[in-house]
Amino acid sequence: MFRKILIANRGEIALRILRACRTLGIEAVVVYSEADRESLPVQLADEAICIGPADARRSYLSAPAVISAALVTDCDAIHPGYGFLSEDEGFADVVAAHGLTFIGPPAEVLERFGSKEATRRLLGSHGLPTIPGSDGMLRDDLHALGEADRIGYPVLIKPSAGGGGKGMRMVRTPRELESALRVCRSEAKAAFGDDSLYLEKWLDENRHVEVQVAIDRYGHGVHMFERDCSVQRRHQKIIEEAPTPALSQQAREDLAERAIRAVVAAGYENIGTLEFLVDRDDKPYFIEINCRVQVEHPVTEMLTGIDLIATQIRIAAGEPLGFSQSDVTLRGHAIEFRINAEDPAYEFRPATGVVERYHAPGGPGVRMDSHLYEGYEVPPFYDSLLGKLIVWGPDRQAAIARSHVALEELLIEGLTTNVTIHQALLGNEAFLEGHMTTNVLDRVGAAAFLAAAARS
Amino acid sequence: MPELRPIDDSAADGHAADHAAIDRLASELLPALIAKLGATGLGELEVRQDGWRVRLRRPADSVVRGERRSPGAARSQPGHSGHGHGPLPTEGTRQARAAASTNGSGPGGHVAVGPGRGTSADVPSDGPAMAVSPAVGMFRPDPDSTAGRRVRAGDRLGVVDMLGVPHEVVSPVDGILGEQLVDGGEAVEYGQELVVIEFAEAPATEA
Repeated sequence: MFRKILIANRGEIALRILRACRTLGIEAVVVYSEADRESLPVQLADEAICIGPADARRSYLSAPAVISAALVTDCDAIHPGYGFLSEDEGFADVVAAHGLTFIGPPAEVLERFGSKEATRRLLGSHGLPTIPGSDGMLRDDLHALGEADRIGYPVLIKPSAGGGGKGMRMVRTPRELESALRVCRSEAKAAFGDDSLYLEKWLDENRHVEVQVAIDRYGHGVHMFERDCSVQRRHQKIIEEAPTPALSQQAREDLAERAIRAVVAAGYENIGTLEFLVDRDDKPYFIEINCRVQVEHPVTEMLTGIDLIATQIRIAAGEPLGFSQSDVTLRGHAIEFRINAEDPAYEFRPATGVVERYHAPGGPGVRMDSHLYEGYEVPPFYDSLLGKLIVWGPDRQAAIARSHVALEELLIEGLTTNVTIHQALLGNEAFLEGHMTTNVLDRVGAAAFLAAAARS
Repeated sequence: MPELRPIDDSAADGHAADHAAIDRLASELLPALIAKLGATGLGELEVRQDGWRVRLRRPADSVVRGERRSPGAARSQPGHSGHGHGPLPTEGTRQARAAASTNGSGPGGHVAVGPGRGTSADVPSDGPAMAVSPAVGMFRPDPDSTAGRRVRAGDRLGVVDMLGVPHEVVSPVDGILGEQLVDGGEAVEYGQELVVIEFAEAPATEA
C-alpha cells in the first residue's frame, strides 16, 4: 500500500480523496494554486503545497509542477481526481517514469481506452451494443459530411478526448455540421489539446445510464450496477440517481452484466464507468468509458456501502479487489444534486462571491460533499461546482421526500446557486415519473421549470 | 535606510571626490555593514570613516519580527485541532518544515513581490523586498548570491529545479541581498519567499 499520496485536484473531490486516504491510514499532500490558498482541502490537509498561479494550465494542469510537487514532498502516488490530468495517458506515463504510481488505470490501459471512437469499436467487439457512428476519426469536412449522410441526421459531433460537453454539438443538417465542426475543433483543442472529432448518431429522446465497474490487476472485476444521469443541461449532468427509473430490474442487471464482461475481456483495470444512451425502446447503446472516479460516484457509495475512492487506491496499489459480485448488493434509492455557483434564471451564468453563510443539511440518508465554509471566496478560475448533496431513502419516493427537506435546509448565502432548479425539478411531473431525457432541460428551458415551480 | 553624508560639508573637496567616496562606501562598506546588521539583530549601526559617517537603520517595524508566510512545502495539521469547529484561519497556523532554518533570524515586515503576490509598485522605497520561487522544486542559489551583494531588478539569484528544468529566481527590485531564507537543495513551493532584498528600490518603470 502507498505511504503518502499527492492529491492533484481541488474543491470537493480533493476533500473526498483526503478523507479516503485518512480512512486507509495513508498520508496525503494537497496541491493548490495561488487562487486556492484558503481552500478547505488546503486547510484540512496534513500537508499542502503551492504548485502555481491561478491559471490551471500552470498549476492543476501542469504535469511537471504536479510531479515535482509529489517528488519534493516524498509521495509515492498521485491521485488525479476527475477533470484536469485524470484521463491524460501522457501524464500517467510520466508519473510512472518518475517512479510514482498514477491512481487510476495504468498508462497502457489508459492508452487503449483513451480514444472514445476506438473504445467503442473495442467494446463493440466484446459484445456491447454501440451507437452508430463515423468510421474512425473525421479526416476532414468532406469525410464528415459523407459519414453524417451514411449515419443519418441528426448527428452528434464529439471530441475523441475529454468530457464535460466541451467540443460537442448536435447538428441536424449538413450546413450546421460544417460550421459546427470548426467550433468543436477549436473547443476540443483548447480544452484537451487534441482536436480529433468523430460522429455519433443522435438519439433525440434518450436517457443517460452508466455502469460503475471495478477491476483489479488480476482480472477480477465486479459491476456496481448503474446510475441514471438523464437530467442534464448542455451535456452537463446536474442530477444523478440510482437505480434508474427507466429500466426494469431485469434490463438493469443485463446491462450491468454485459458491461462488466466486456471490460474485463478488453483488459480494463481499476474503477471506471461505462456510459450508455438508452433509447425510447429501452435499448442501450454504449457511448464511452470514463477511466477515473466520477463526480456522481457517491450515488453508488450510498447504495452499495462501498468506498469507491478507497477501492480505486487499493487497486492502484496492486491489491486484489477483495470482494466478489455477490457481495455487491443495492439497498434503497439515492439521488445526487450538483450544487453549482450559477444562476438558472439567467442561462446558468456562473456566479462568484464570498460565502457569507453556509449550512449543510443533515438527517438520515443525507450526505453533503462540499468544500464550502463561511468566509470562503469562490474563485472565478475553475468550474462552478460548490458541492454535491446526496440523499438516500429506502425507495425513490422516500429519497425524493428527503431531498425536498434537505434542499430546503441547505443554506448558501453570498452567491447565487442552482438550488432553485433542483427544487423546481423535484416538483416536476416528468422527473417524478422518471421520464426525464437528456434534452428536456435544454429544450424546455430552465426558466419554464422555474416558472412552473413558482406557480405551484 | 542608509544615510551617507560628509560629517563636515567643508571637508569634501569637489564632486569627483564625493562620487569616488560614495562608490567605495557603497560597494565595500555597505554590504559588510548590512551583513553585520542582519547577524546582530541590532536596530542601528553607525560607522565613521575618512570624514564620512554611515548610519544603517532598520525600518521601525522590522525590529520586531513579523510572521512571514511560511515556506509551506509541508506543515502541521491545523485541521486536527479544529474538528467540529469549521475551518480555521490559516495564516497564523501555518508551520513550515523549513521554518527551523529561518526562525529567529532576519528582519521581518518584508514585502514579497513576484508571481501573483502583488507588484513591485507595492514595495516601499528603501524597504525590504523578497525574491520568490517561480516554481515548485529544488532551490539552487547561485554561488555569488551572497548577503551584501548589490543587485538590480531582474538579476538572477539562482534557480528552482522543476523536474530537471531550471526556473530562474530573480530579484524583483534594485537593492542589496540580505538573508537567504532557504538553503540550497531544499524543496520549495511556488511563490515561496527565498531571498530578502534589503533597501529595495522599486524599478523606475513600475515605481
